[in-house]
Amino acid sequence: MRMRQAVAGVGAGLFLAVVPVVAHHAFSSEFDINKPFKLRGTLTKWEMINPHSWFHFDVKDDNGTVAEWMIEGGSPNSLIKQGVTKNTLAIGTEMIIEGYQAKDASNKGVGRNLVLANGRRLFLSGDTDLPDKKPGDK
Amino acid sequence: MSHRCLVAVSALVIAVASWRTMPVAGQTRSAGAGTTGTGAKAYTAPRTPDGQPDLQGFWSNTTFTPLERPKDVTKEFYTREELLEIVKKASAQEAEQTEPGTVADVHYDFTQFGLDKSQSAMAVNLRTSLIVDPPDGRLPPLSAEGQRRAADRVAARKARGGPHDAVQNEPLGARCILMDRNGPPMLGGAYNNTYQIMQTRDYVMILVEMLHDVRIIPLDGRPQLPANVRQWTGSSRGRWEGQTLVIETTNLTDKFAFLGSSENMRLTERFTRVAADTLRYQFTVEDPATWTRAWSAEVPWKTDTGPIFEHACHEGNYGLFNTLAGARAEEKRAAEEAAKKKSPR
Repeated sequence: MRMRQAVAGVGAGLFLAVVPVVAHHAFSSEFDINKPFKLRGTLTKWEMINPHSWFHFDVKDDNGTVAEWMIEGGSPNSLIKQGVTKNTLAIGTEMIIEGYQAKDASNKGVGRNLVLANGRRLFLSGDTDLPDKKPGDK
Repeated sequence: MSHRCLVAVSALVIAVASWRTMPVAGQTRSAGAGTTGTGAKAYTAPRTPDGQPDLQGFWSNTTFTPLERPKDVTKEFYTREELLEIVKKASAQEAEQTEPGTVADVHYDFTQFGLDKSQSAMAVNLRTSLIVDPPDGRLPPLSAEGQRRAADRVAARKARGGPHDAVQNEPLGARCILMDRNGPPMLGGAYNNTYQIMQTRDYVMILVEMLHDVRIIPLDGRPQLPANVRQWTGSSRGRWEGQTLVIETTNLTDKFAFLGSSENMRLTERFTRVAADTLRYQFTVEDPATWTRAWSAEVPWKTDTGPIFEHACHEGNYGLFNTLAGARAEEKRAAEEAAKKKSPR
C-alpha cells in the first residue's frame, strides 16, 4: 500500500475504523504527479539507507544513450530483519521501474513499482500481473 | 484476490491462529482496567540479575486500533470475530494497488519492502480504541486555553510562509527530529515500529527504531531537570512499582506538540510484561492547559525480531533536498509563466 487512508469496516454501518497512514514525508511534494514514467534500467548501485533506500540505474534510450537515474524506495529495516543484504540484489539486475519524476525535472523518481525481468516484483510482493495499471494509463 | 493480497493476508492468518489460543474473556471489564480484552492469565515476568522484572528485548507497537473510538462504535471491545474481519479487510486493502494519477499513487509500495502493518508483529487488541479513559474512548474537549493556543499555532505557521519556503517549515518528521513513534508517548506509526529495551540497575534504555532516538531514563530517584531546561522529549525519570516500570516525563518544549499539548504536559508511562510475548504499555496525559481533563491510553506491544538496523535519518535524507528543490523549480516555472503572460510576443 502507498499513502492512503486505510478504511476497514464490518457489518452494515456497525463501525468504521479509519487509520491514517503517515510516512516519513509527503512524496507528492517531492515528485510530480504529472510526470509518470516507465523505464527499463540496469541496477548500478543500491543505497540501503534510511529514511528511504535509493536505487541507481543506467537507463538506455532508443538511440543507445545511457542516462543515470536515482529511484527512491522504502526504508530497508524490515527487509534486513528478513535476511536481505546488499548482496541479495546483484548489481547488473535489470528492472522495469514505474514511478513519478522529481519536481525539479532531474533524473530522480519514486519507484511506484520495481519489477524484475521475470515479472516478479522486487522483494516481498510476490509475482505480478503487471502491466496491470501504470502511471499515465488512460 | 491477487497474489499481492494473498501475501499480506497469509501473514495475518498465521497471527490470528496464535491469537485463537488465548481465552476470550474480560470483554465487559470497565475502561482503564488494564486489559486488551483477551483475558490472558496473570503472569510474572522473569527477573534480571538485579531483581527487576525483565522487559528486555525487541517489541513492536504496530496496531490497526485507532487512538480514538470511531464515532459509530459504542462498545469498548470487539468480539474476536469482528476484530478478525477488521484486520483481514485492512490487510487486504494494504496489499491493493493504488490508482495511477492519484496523490496516493505517488509513493513507493510499502508491501514491496515489508513495511505494511499486516507484514509486522502485532499484538491482539480487542479494544475499539487505544484511549481507555475517558470511557467513551475519545480525547476530552480542548480547554479554552488549549483552543486559543491551537489557533495561535495555526496563525504562527501561516506567518512563517508556505510549507516548503524554508527547511524550518517542513514537518519535524521530514527533518528527522521527531515522529509519532518517538513520542513521548510512543505510539505506533505506519512502519518501523520496533523498540529495544535494555535495563541496568540504575537505568533503562529504550531504542526507538524510527529516527533512531534513544531514551535513557535514570531509575535512581534523582529529580527532574530544572524547569528552565526544555528538551524535545522532555526529562524522564523512572521507578519500579511491583511488576511495572513507571516513567514520568516533564520539561517538554512548545516546539513539539503531542496532539496539541502544551510544554507543561505531564506524562506517566507504565510498562508491564503481561505474557512472555506481550508487554502492556499504558500512558496518562495530564495537561490542563490543553484538555479539560486527564486522559489515558493503552497499547499492547508484541515481541519482535531484532536487531534494529540503525535509522540514520539525517545522513540519507535526500528527500528533504528534493522537496525543497522541487518547490524552487515550481516557483521558477510559475514566475516564467507569469512573465510570459505579462509580455506576450
